[in-house]
Parts: sequence; C-alpha cells; structure tokens
Amino acid sequence: MVIEIKNTFDGIGEFVLFIFRFFKELFKPPLELREFVKQCYVIGYKSLPLVAITGFIMGLVLTLQSRPTLAEFGAESWLPGMVALSLIREIAPVITALICAGKVSSGIGAELGSMKVTEQIDAMEVSAINPFKYLVVTRILASTLMIPLLVVFADGIGILGGFVGYNIHSELNIVRYNSLVFETLGFVDIFPATIKTFFFGFFIGTIGCFMGFTASNGTESVGKAANSAVVYASLAIFIIDMLAVQLTDLIF
Amino acid sequence: MKKDVGFRWKLGMFVTAGILFFAVTIYFVGKQKNLFGSTFHLKSHFKTVSGLKIGNNVRFSGINIGTVDAIEMISDTSVMVDLIIEKSAQPFIKTDAKVGISSDGLMGEKVLVISPGTFTFKSVKDNDILTSKNAIEMEDLMLSMKKSIDNVALISDNLAQFSYKVNNGDGALSKMISDEQFSSTLQSTLVNLQNSSNEFAKFTESMNSGKGALSKLVTDEKFGKTLDSTMMNLKTGTKGLNETIDAAQNSILLKGYFKKKEKAAKQIEIKKANALKKKNTTIIKSDSTKRLLTPKDSIQ
Amino acid sequence: MENKSPIIEIKGLYKSFGKDKDVLKGVNIHVKKGENLVILGKSGSGKSITIKCLVRLVEADRGEIKVFGTDLSKLDNDELNVIRLRIGFLFQNGALYDSMTVRENLGFPLQRHRAEFTESQVNLAIEETLESVGLSEAIDKMPSELSGGMRKRVGLARTLILKPEILLYDEPTTGLDTITSREISELIISIQKKYKTTSIIITHDMACAKFTSNRIVILRDGLVYTEGTYETLEKSEDEWVRSFFI
Repeated sequence: MVIEIKNTFDGIGEFVLFIFRFFKELFKPPLELREFVKQCYVIGYKSLPLVAITGFIMGLVLTLQSRPTLAEFGAESWLPGMVALSLIREIAPVITALICAGKVSSGIGAELGSMKVTEQIDAMEVSAINPFKYLVVTRILASTLMIPLLVVFADGIGILGGFVGYNIHSELNIVRYNSLVFETLGFVDIFPATIKTFFFGFFIGTIGCFMGFTASNGTESVGKAANSAVVYASLAIFIIDMLAVQLTDLIF
Repeated sequence: MKKDVGFRWKLGMFVTAGILFFAVTIYFVGKQKNLFGSTFHLKSHFKTVSGLKIGNNVRFSGINIGTVDAIEMISDTSVMVDLIIEKSAQPFIKTDAKVGISSDGLMGEKVLVISPGTFTFKSVKDNDILTSKNAIEMEDLMLSMKKSIDNVALISDNLAQFSYKVNNGDGALSKMISDEQFSSTLQSTLVNLQNSSNEFAKFTESMNSGKGALSKLVTDEKFGKTLDSTMMNLKTGTKGLNETIDAAQNSILLKGYFKKKEKAAKQIEIKKANALKKKNTTIIKSDSTKRLLTPKDSIQ
Repeated sequence: MENKSPIIEIKGLYKSFGKDKDVLKGVNIHVKKGENLVILGKSGSGKSITIKCLVRLVEADRGEIKVFGTDLSKLDNDELNVIRLRIGFLFQNGALYDSMTVRENLGFPLQRHRAEFTESQVNLAIEETLESVGLSEAIDKMPSELSGGMRKRVGLARTLILKPEILLYDEPTTGLDTITSREISELIISIQKKYKTTSIIITHDMACAKFTSNRIVILRDGLVYTEGTYETLEKSEDEWVRSFFI
C-alpha cells in the first residue's frame, strides 16, 4: 500500500520532470520543423473527420434534447444561442479533447512505446539525434496547436448541427439562426474556452509521449502505454476543465 | 520527399480554414460588441446602475446601437456610465435625449435605453453627457408590491371577521341566512306584500278611471277647487270652535270635567308601557331556550 | 604501435538495477584498434548492458570508460554526441524507423549530421551503402516489408552511412536461420575490411563467434570469467567454458 502510494508519486514526479524537459528542449534552437509539420498533419488533419462527425452530432442532439424544455417556456428562440453557448464553452472542447485523447494520445503512446521497445529510440540516441526533441517536442507542440484548431472546427460544425436539429421541428433560415447565435456570444464565452483547449492539447500530447517514451521494454508495455495514455489524458482533461471553470468564474 | 507535398497542402488548408473560421467568429462577436467599426462615446450620470455591467447593450428606438464601455463611481451618490455608440446613430440622438436602465425581459440582462429627444435640438457630439432617468429598481417594484399585498391582507382579514359575524351573530342578516322560520315569515310577508300591491294596482286603476268621489278628488280640477274652499271654511270654523273651547276651559263650571279627562289619559299611557316591557322579556327567554336546543338537534 | 593502443578501455564497470539486481560487478575490457572482439555470455550476464554503457545509453554506476582516449562520464551531451557519431551501433532487430522507407531510414542520420550534403550526394551515399550490404533493390520499401535478415542489413547500412570507426553489434545473428546468420557474419568481416573498423560483437551464436572473432571475452554474472582466442578457449579445461562449445 505504502509502496503503491510512493510509486504513484514517483510517477507524478517523473511526469513533472518530463514536462520540464519538454520546455528545456523546446527553447533549444534547432526545431525539428519537418517532423513538426508532419505531426500537425497527423494530429490535426487526420483527426478532422472524427471531430467533425462528433461535433455535428453533439450540436444536433443538444438542440433536439433542449428543445422540449425551452418550448415549454416559449423560449424556443433561445435555442440556437443556448446550444452555441454550451457548445463553445464546454461541450465542443471537452468532447473533442476526449476524442483526441482516444485517437491522438493513444496513438502517440503506442507509437513511441513500440519505438522504445524495438530500440528505435535508442538507435536515434546513439546516432546523435535527440529523440526527445525529434519525437516528443514535435508531437507535444503539434498537439498543443492542433487541438484548439480542431475545437474551432467542432464549434462550427456543432453549431451547424444545431441548425439542422432546429429545422427538424421548426423553420428558421441560416441568416436568422446565425444572428441568434452571435447575439448570445461574447468574448467571455470564446476566450477562456479557447485558452482551455491549448491546455487540453498540451496534456493530450504530453501524456501520450510520456507513456510511450517511458514504456518499459517488452511488447505488452506498448499496449499498456497506449491504454494508460487514454486513461490519464481523459482524466487530465476533466481536471483541467474543472480548474478552468473555477478560474474563469474567478476572473470574469 | 514526394509524400511531403501530398500532405502539406491538406495541412495548409486545415490550418488556414481553422484560423479563418476563428477570425470570422471573433469578428462577428466583436461587431456585436462594437469593438470594431467607427464609434463615438457618450456619458451619463446615474444614482444607481442596478447591476448594469460593462458590455451590456445600448438601445435606441429598440435597436442595439452600442455597448456600455465603462462604469465609474464618481461620488457616493453618482455613477458615471460611458457608452460606445455606433457612429451611424449619432445624428438621431439629440442633446435632450434621456438615458434609462431597463431589463431585457424578466430574467434578461440589463440594457441601457436612450429615449429620443425632440428634433429641434441639436445632435449629440462625442463625449456629450446625457441626462438620465432613474431606473425602476426591482426593490421599488417589490416595495410597492408589498404595500398592495399588505392591503389585500387587511381586506381579507375584515372580510373574514364579517363573514364570521354573519354566520354566528344575532343580527337580521344572520337570521336571514340561518333562521328558517324567519325566512318563511319573510316569504309570507312578501306574498302579502305582493297581494296588497296587486290590490293597490287595481285600486289605483279604478281610481284613475272611475267616477267615484275619491277618483274625482284626484282627477277633477273643479272638485278640487270646491274642496279647497270648503277646507278654508272648515279652517275658519274650527278656529272659532277652538276659541269657544278655550273659553269653556277657563270657565269655572267646566274645569273639573277637563281635569278628569287628563288623568285618565295618563293612566292609559302607563299601562301601555308596562305591557310592552313584559312582552320584551318573554321574547328573550324563548330565544335562549331555542339556543339551548339547537346543539341537540345537530346531534340528532 | 598505433594498432596496439587500446581504442576502448573499460575499467571496473559497475551497474545495478534496483537493490539486489547487480548486473555488472566490475567488468574490465579493452579493445585494440582494428580488433574484432566477441563478448560471449548467457542471457542476463550483462553483455548488452556493457556495450550500451559504451555509448551511454545506460549510465554506469561506477567505473571508467574511455573511448578514443576520452572518459565518457565527464562529457556533456554535445561532446558525447561527437563521440557517438564515431561509433556505430547495430541493434538486435535493426531498430529501423517504422514510419520511414529504407531510403529515409538511411537518409535520416545524414540529414542531421551531413547538412552540407546536396540531395544527389545524399542519394549517392545511400545507394552506395545499401550496395555494400547487398540490398540495393529494397531502397523504397518500408521496414515492415523486409525479412529479419534484411532488416539487420539495413540497420547495419544505416550505422555505416556515417562511416563510424567503432561498430557495436548487439546479437547480430539472433532470430536468423543458419544460412542468413552466416551471411551476416560474412558481412561483418567484409565491412570491417572495407571500412577499417574496430568491432565489438555480442552473441551467443558460436558459429558467428568463430567466424568473426579475433578475441573472445566470456562474461559470467557480471564479471569477465575468461578471455582468449576462439582456439584457446575451445581447448579450455574449464567445464563452464566448454559448455559454450558443445
């Protein structure tokens, strides 16, 4: 029991050092630009269909589910604004981040884990290529920058989904829908949510890299790395979300 | 290296679209909040701003034309509100326009409403100060509401008392409601009244159209005049009679007779009063026995 | 004279993982320039750890390691990388980068460390090196399409492309059939002749040891048990040593 607790803290400590190392390596001059661009493509573009589908469905479902309650108060015209607000503030960032925790974080965990197991990371190291810089920094950076972009897409597509959902039961043209959406939105809704997504992206990348990079030798550790990457990334997303809400509450 | 080109344009498209989309959103929200485009400032002093916040809308003729830019306390009784207004609204806002605070719906945000001034005045300039109307505070609303609620409570209290008295009291109203006997007598009275009124109707009819003395009395003018003169004669006759009676009273011969008459009249009066007293006490007695009986009735 | 001076010196190397897992308990090895040293030992005897310490993939707990006359433990990262570039390391399964083609695998270290090379120079170097391991036809294949022997050869080509002075082979013939093992062993010799390298070969494959070795060191429980040429060790009276040669 005591040893387990100690191991948990040991793991956390190792993770914190991993983050420190990331920042240390990040500001050392040569950035692996080519790999970074490639990772942006893999993390960003390749996740877009998945994020688009979930975003659309979230908007649609949220609209259909909230409609009866609002209709009871005769406040159906609030529906677009309300859906857009909950999408932008909460649903789109969290759902997108969770999807990416499943896709990106586990992908990175499995990839780096298998590279570690088959000594590819060692091979890089002995050929005087900094594997941390090449593999970890690029991936974390790509994920930190791409997840917010994906969330923006999820926001947009989710609001579009809301439009489709609204038009199932009542009729509204897109221009009026848009103006209803934008009437409700303020910068307070957009900026904290956007800043939050950078943290989501950072931790999705970092936890995936950490799990993969520190995988022990042996084939089963690859699966373990991928699995724990998803679990801890999802957990981290909720914790960050909670902190972000409290901070936003405090400031605005 | 061939593969690079394949994915690069897709990545470029992805990033460009994302950033563009974000920028457009920011622009539209900004437009909503008047961060961009040409604007000017107006100021107004309030005693209280009732929870108005920076960023709340400013309305003119029901159109959103700007937002609240700053709220500053100037003294303990005065708050200055700085507004950003779209330039296009400037010519329509006159210097005597008034600024008030109201709510957007019952639960909605506060809004600043500029009520238009008179067209003879000049248009406002940048940083002009507009006069303010005091807002209807929710508290005031509550206070007046409380007053009327208090009144209602008072009225209902009285009403309760009144109805209690009606149900349990001795008055005519209570009897009317609760006493069956009373109501039956009332009914018979009413029937009698109806009968008599019918009779009266007949009587008046015959009186109006008939040729009897009474009818003549009412309808015939000539008869009335003769009656008048007869009455006059009668009056003078009785006057003479009075004088003779006075003279008789004063005469010694008839004094004893008159005194006796007076005594008898007094005695009759006293007897009448005693009889009345007796009657009253019996009524009260019978009433109280009735009351004692009613609970038993209800048990049965 | 130059041939005789040790290019690698390991003195009193000590390494443990955790409290009771002492893997190396004071290993002393020295390798002369141009020599082919084979390190023999059962699994868990600490062979792999020893050569990983040579490139500081594993940090030793105690002991001195000198490569090219420099003490590795006193170097910072940049200085270490200079040494690392002069050492080639062939991993057990080649450790090819899965996401890259064979060409990219070979080109990868070149891009890093030979930035002055033009694209044609890079391509030339790649083709030349691949030819020397006999795999010119596999240049645009992905590592997953290659057999175990081919992977090792590509791995070898990748280490050779930077023209190292020392080559470290970690179990070069493990998991291969006898014929392919033989081919790899021949390749090691031909490479050594062509590139004039010094090699340390870790193996428990006696055929390979016999074919490639100038000298053999046998490790037992984290210590050097004995050393000598293949011929002398084969005639050893020691029963434990003899068990290798059956």
